Amino acid sequence: MNIIPATPSAPNLDAIFAALADPTRREILTRLAGGEATVNEIAAPFEMSQPAISKHLKVLERAGLVTRAIDQQRRPATLNAKPMRDAVDWLEAFRDFWLGSFEQLDGLLDELKHEEKDR
Amino acid sequence: MTGLPVFVLEREFNAPRALVWRSWTEPDLLAKWYGPGVETVIHALDVRPGGQWLNEMKMGESSGYQKSVYTEVVPPERLIMLMSTTNADWELAPNPMMPDWPATLLTMVTFEETDGVTQMRLEWSPHEATPAEIACFAGAVENLGKGWGAGMELLAQMLVDLQA
Repeated sequence: MNIIPATPSAPNLDAIFAALADPTRREILTRLAGGEATVNEIAAPFEMSQPAISKHLKVLERAGLVTRAIDQQRRPATLNAKPMRDAVDWLEAFRDFWLGSFEQLDGLLDELKHEEKDR
Repeated sequence: MTGLPVFVLEREFNAPRALVWRSWTEPDLLAKWYGPGVETVIHALDVRPGGQWLNEMKMGESSGYQKSVYTEVVPPERLIMLMSTTNADWELAPNPMMPDWPATLLTMVTFEETDGVTQMRLEWSPHEATPAEIACFAGAVENLGKGWGAGMELLAQMLVDLQA
């Protein structure tokens, strides 16, 4: 259904939802919402090895939710909020399309009822 | 059902079921309510098993096209159809914006009347979908139906704040 205004790149919803399905990755996103962080800093509160955290970061990166600086040794990760907003917007647009239609149907049914009465 | 994700919307209408049924099955009426804020042009509406609803939605210069094929028609209780996004030639076309959105959604609409009030229920589920399409739709349903969950609510709020 073409009910979303065009944006430059189509978000990969499949990758986004797969990335969001994991509680550790959601916590990482929550952490990054507070500002950029290195793998060390992200790993600190978790009982998890750095390689394990790096793996989670890769999944988030592939979904486009996180970007990592390539020109620095620390490679801090940064939250990229846009793809998630796109996904949420899409889901809401589908629902809103139908709820909006229902509103119009409500009005139309009122008219039809009055027409039948006047006949 | 087969364990596929299902998205449900329900709405009550203060009108008898026969009227609500007409609003789905008469082209003049259907065009009036289907599609908020767009001009709806109905190119065909043949409400019987195997019949088609060919729908164009005009949004300024561009149009969106949908084809629905009815698989079950039980007046005035139930409509089941396969709804697909198409190109202008009514050939199935994945949505360029959402390539993983199911190309075809099995859509069931039911109508129940109590004392002149009609309860309408719509159910969507992916039809002959790829695993990616099912995953995409399941994620959508989970997030719309149950909300974001505690962690996701926090995150969603932060994302809103970040963009404020």
